[in-house]
Amino acid sequence: MDQRRTAILAEIPRLRRYARALLRDRDSADDLVQDCLERALSRLDNWTSDENPRRWLFTIMHHLFVDQTRRTKRRAEVVMMPLEGSEAMSVPADQTESVASREIMDALQAISPDRRAALVIVGVEGFSYAEAATMLGIPAGTLMSRVARGREELRGLLDDVGRRRAIRVVER
Amino acid sequence: MTRRDFSERDIHLALDGELPDEDRRDFEAWLEATPDMKARSLRFEADRARLREAFAGVLEERVPDRLAMRAAGEAPAPATRVARWRFAAAAAVFLALGAGGGYLAGVEAIGIEPQAEDELAEEAIAAHTIYAAEQRHAVEVGADDKDHLLAWLSKRVGLTLVAPDLAAEGFHLVGGRLLPAGQKTAGLLLYEDAGSNRISIYVTAEGDEKSKGVYKHETGGASAVYWLDDGWGCAIVGTLPQDRLVDVGRKAYRQLLAGAGMA
Repeated sequence: MDQRRTAILAEIPRLRRYARALLRDRDSADDLVQDCLERALSRLDNWTSDENPRRWLFTIMHHLFVDQTRRTKRRAEVVMMPLEGSEAMSVPADQTESVASREIMDALQAISPDRRAALVIVGVEGFSYAEAATMLGIPAGTLMSRVARGREELRGLLDDVGRRRAIRVVER
Repeated sequence: MTRRDFSERDIHLALDGELPDEDRRDFEAWLEATPDMKARSLRFEADRARLREAFAGVLEERVPDRLAMRAAGEAPAPATRVARWRFAAAAAVFLALGAGGGYLAGVEAIGIEPQAEDELAEEAIAAHTIYAAEQRHAVEVGADDKDHLLAWLSKRVGLTLVAPDLAAEGFHLVGGRLLPAGQKTAGLLLYEDAGSNRISIYVTAEGDEKSKGVYKHETGGASAVYWLDDGWGCAIVGTLPQDRLVDVGRKAYRQLLAGAGMA
């Protein structure tokens, strides 16, 4: 197999993780990865071998995600507001997820997509601020503030849940 | 003596490995000297660990064939496909808008639906907290009028209620009261032991959920052992040690079911 394809193949698990953090739902996340692969393959000639495949692919996928959220946002403001959020949004919980994981995944979905992406790319995927800013196509200062605001927002949501929620220990 | 002033911003920089090495020591000293910032830093760090942990499993999953084959060039490009992720992206935006705009509040804002058992346990704990503390007005109908109490509660709650005999556990019936439970009603039976420790049995007619467990607040206080089954919602609440509460609760629940001819 082509060396470049091999490199792309090796990045799929990381792409899937990033997509899952962005979208939560497994099938939707894999669809996003697939769209990203399509686009990457169609632009294979643009990709120079000295460019890090992970950064290249993450950039492509991120932009697919952003384009879509922008388009949706305009529509959402007009059309989607009156809907009951919990109805439209409920994601069936994966039985294998722990309560703690489920809580933080849900909270992550509730913060703005921009902050979510910044927080995940730095905090989970481990890219530096400089790398992340380049990949997301934003100034470093903006990136830094999105990470900080995202982190605070996430904590705020978890505090809210913590106040209302309690520990439920299922009897054996 | 610190060389420069630090702020919350530095907590993020340090966490993300962006704080210059030469500032590291002073930053740590500043954290030690500023307990609220240290607490904040630890919380953020713990959140990050939890986030990583939540998504760590994805890396271990087997890559779906459709993705692997596509990347390897072994699958043709699919025809027009309406990507599901677009809907999820729409949902994500909407959720963020909703949460930011205050359309959704609390637990629902982040997509955790309050479950029937959570509501049952919360209501039962709240009722216990309020009424078990009362000396003179803990109950509406006392144990001396037990037959009337049970007939009345049974009628209003819609379940055949008995007062479990918990003498072997050291508890005797004080009395009971009728309570609102959302759109429905709930019955509360209050028991007390020789040491004036009180437990309450909270019963309400429920739907088809089936669940049992122990529910307690992170902040402490009374906990509840509950059952949801056969249209019954039952929670036994008290501040007893958990094992004992479960034990007493189980005995009470069995008697309740037996009394209703269900066990």
